[in-house]
Amino acid sequence: MNRQRTGFYFVLPWLIGFVLFTLFPLIAALYISFTEWSIIGNPVFIGAGNFVKIFKDPMFYESLWITVKYAIFAVPLTIATAFTVAVLLNNNLRLVGVFRTIYYMPAIVSGVAVAIVFKWVLDPNYGVINSFLAIFGIRGPNWLYDPNWVLPSYLVMAVWGASGGLLTYLVGLKDIPRELYESAEIDGAGTLRKIRHITIPMITPVIFYNLIMGLIAAFRKFTDAYILGGAGNQGTFYMVYLYDQAFSFYKMGYATALAWILFVIILTLTIIINVTRKYWVHT
Amino acid sequence: MARFIKSAFLVHVVAVVFLLSACSGNVNTACGGGKNHFIFATWAAGDELKEFNEIVRQVNENAGGEYTIETLSIPSDYYIKISTLISSKNTPDFFWMTQELISKYAELGAIADLTDFLNNSEKYNPERFYEGVIASAFHEGKYYGVPWIANPVMVYYNKNLFDEAGVPYPDPADDWTWDEFIEIAKKLTVVKKDANNNDYQQYGIVIDGWPNIETFIWAGGGDIIADNGTDILLDTEESLKGLDILNEILVSGITPSFSEVSSLGSNNVWFEKQRVAMFMGGIQDNFERKIAKLPEDQQFEIGYAPMPVGLDGSAHAFDWTASTVMDVACSNNPVALKALEAMTDGFLKWKIASPLKGQVSEITNIDPLKAPALPTIEESLRIARSANYIPEWNEINNRLWVELYSGMLNNPGEFDYRSKAKEIAEYARELIAQRK
Amino acid sequence: MGKKQAPGRIQSFALYAVLTLGSVAMLMPFFWMISTALKTESDIFTIPIKWIPQKIVFDNFTRAFEVVPILKYMFNTFVMAVLKIGGEVFVSALVAYGFARYQFKSKNVLFMILLATMMLPYEVTMIPTFIIWSNLGFSDSYVPLVLPAYFGSATFIFFLRMYFETFPRELEESAVIDGARPIHIFVRIFIPLSKAALMTIALWSFMGTWNDLLGQLIYINSPSKYTIQLGLASFSNMTGETLWGPLMAASFVALLPIIFLLLFAQRYFTEGIKMTGIKG
Repeated sequence: MNRQRTGFYFVLPWLIGFVLFTLFPLIAALYISFTEWSIIGNPVFIGAGNFVKIFKDPMFYESLWITVKYAIFAVPLTIATAFTVAVLLNNNLRLVGVFRTIYYMPAIVSGVAVAIVFKWVLDPNYGVINSFLAIFGIRGPNWLYDPNWVLPSYLVMAVWGASGGLLTYLVGLKDIPRELYESAEIDGAGTLRKIRHITIPMITPVIFYNLIMGLIAAFRKFTDAYILGGAGNQGTFYMVYLYDQAFSFYKMGYATALAWILFVIILTLTIIINVTRKYWVHT
Repeated sequence: MARFIKSAFLVHVVAVVFLLSACSGNVNTACGGGKNHFIFATWAAGDELKEFNEIVRQVNENAGGEYTIETLSIPSDYYIKISTLISSKNTPDFFWMTQELISKYAELGAIADLTDFLNNSEKYNPERFYEGVIASAFHEGKYYGVPWIANPVMVYYNKNLFDEAGVPYPDPADDWTWDEFIEIAKKLTVVKKDANNNDYQQYGIVIDGWPNIETFIWAGGGDIIADNGTDILLDTEESLKGLDILNEILVSGITPSFSEVSSLGSNNVWFEKQRVAMFMGGIQDNFERKIAKLPEDQQFEIGYAPMPVGLDGSAHAFDWTASTVMDVACSNNPVALKALEAMTDGFLKWKIASPLKGQVSEITNIDPLKAPALPTIEESLRIARSANYIPEWNEINNRLWVELYSGMLNNPGEFDYRSKAKEIAEYARELIAQRK
Repeated sequence: MGKKQAPGRIQSFALYAVLTLGSVAMLMPFFWMISTALKTESDIFTIPIKWIPQKIVFDNFTRAFEVVPILKYMFNTFVMAVLKIGGEVFVSALVAYGFARYQFKSKNVLFMILLATMMLPYEVTMIPTFIIWSNLGFSDSYVPLVLPAYFGSATFIFFLRMYFETFPRELEESAVIDGARPIHIFVRIFIPLSKAALMTIALWSFMGTWNDLLGQLIYINSPSKYTIQLGLASFSNMTGETLWGPLMAASFVALLPIIFLLLFAQRYFTEGIKMTGIKG
């Protein structure tokens, strides 16, 4: 059996789909980034004009910085949260199925619904968080109305929705052989040590997956930010800026160029993470 | 294997290029599909769509087979779908447009020139429209849309709260200045007790981004863009004085702070819950109906007054208008124009208010509850005004909201709005200078 | 196989307490959604916010069903989801298996391309894609939304590849020695061992279809073909007015199928019989 070709044949359906459905729009998008295109008019070739403009555009840097800041905090936070919740839910307690459903629920609502609900949750005067803090006599911040608290607002939403990765961790945890834990227990290891030395190393493939997906998601953050915004322009994530350029200002060429730059940034980060993979991902 | 990939790739590219180039001659691009079957796109959905479809049904019935209209309802992301359809050469034959985008679509050649149609029409001659309303469909000497609604702003007020504060009612159709308005609002900003005997703050007015910034700039006698569509007036002294008025309102405490407004969901709820004595809303706003449905002890009597007079001696009411526009492909199709007229007839009997002059009495046919408002509505239609929309409008307006207005709302009294206005004015001039 | 040492009673209780506390935070927005759905219109926005409706009414539900035919739209979406799910899950698994268990020359390049397709925002390929489908004659159709699913989905492939890679080599080697064909190894060995992972993908596929607004908006025109998200979008209009009560009622109803699916899927995540000595 020619192992070379077999593997390729397994992958072939995706490749065909890619060539059929994705490749040409990608090429079109590449071309569009070198044009000025208002969507409803005809594209006009302008060479590298968009890219030159981008590098002189203060909003490009600002929205990118807002997004990077968010990613730096949100990605580790969500991974840690999802992992912790998964560990807590990886047992056979009664009703654990119900709990798992409850903890996964934030992931099943659309971004629009999340935004609507959190607008209320983060309300400075009567929202849930500030009302709760008021019980302890703490005056809660102005959340989305205070430029310094816009990032924390989105981080709160990120942590709430962190259990989106819950299922992936549960899948990974499920497959860790009992014997590893049992022999560790015989050696006198407590819960935390077991987690540190068995669970986490065995689950690094899942963490790797969530790290890459989390990074991509953080850089592409859009729906709730578009609806909620944030004081002092602090809610203008990169994708929000891009979306406005494309659909509010009819500058699809410029927006596509922005998209390609984002692509390069994410790709670079992914390659870096991939390179480090052999150092920490268990196989 | 490499050869397999390469040949598959080549075959595919050829196929797709072929498909993409099969654009012209596509039946979809012809007006009405070539058989006078017109697609009419609308943002109406849910209940509004049912009413829209009823109009379509009537029009189709009366057309007697000469043409048919088919509704295309776009319940969300309206302009994304419209622009996508246009880019794929599937432009709907007719579609609704809000006023701020008409000049952009006209500039890019996406909508038809309707000047001849309007000039030759008796019913829909431009002179028969309120000036401020038809101006919104006007771009570089031509008309590109048929407005089907005029919805200028007027002041709703709570007569009960006025009585409690001992403030006389403003005149339903006469001038009051912004200074007078602010003074009245101050008298109505008092601490009240609610049903549980707890204190709460009642405000005179709610300003949270609505009314829009044009309202205040006009109040100073200024404007954002001049009539000629090229000169920027945002940083003239008149415009800045208008911003002063807005600032005064925001620092005087007569409006809830920006962060407080959304705790009641949206600004109109403040008026409905009697937390605010006055509200600047469109003539179409259905407060009358909502309050009639409240439990009796929560109902109150509504009074009406036109927008206050500004520093230039005139009152201006921002007008929210939408128009029907037509696909360029339908330009020479007389049947399409007939359909356009028939649909517009239907719209004018449906919405408050008709953009044609002299139709104010029709309003009570559409909504009897608006009867007490008629004198104010008539005056508001008379002073209705649109901004001068240019293709660069969205970019300029975005900065006006995100940087200028939001800055003033989040930081009343401390935010340097004059500098920001000048900054945005310079930006606007740059954009215009980039015109080809 | 030994069961995990049953936690002591104090540990159990503590765990339940922590989980319940966290549940409150997770569920709180949903509670607001239901609470709003059961309130009278004047009760929805009050200062201070009322958690419990003063008077519970079901008007919002009846009203919601008047505004749009919710059940019909849910059915449409269900049909679309079912059409997609089989193809998407199985083909993604197939492709992931190829990436995970075989070496071939173009493997790394192809996988990088696969990852890259997730990195470019779809907003910029949306319109060229639509133009292609439109020229192919597909207007007002589910086909552009369903057909690509039969060629796998990048996210699922990535996840399943990572998952399949954790299986030990020995799993196939014994089967190969026995002369089994690759596809049989895949179907008869790997698939049965991956139920939880496949269930995860299936859930994602279903949720993806259920929650997609923009894609469905672009390709569907006739209200009779509307999906649930398009229906929910009908509760707000262009001027920003929203029918909050009915919208929350409809949103809640729209969530129910997913919640049921989630509950049903839980059995695949519970501890199962593990091939001791095979993994790790």
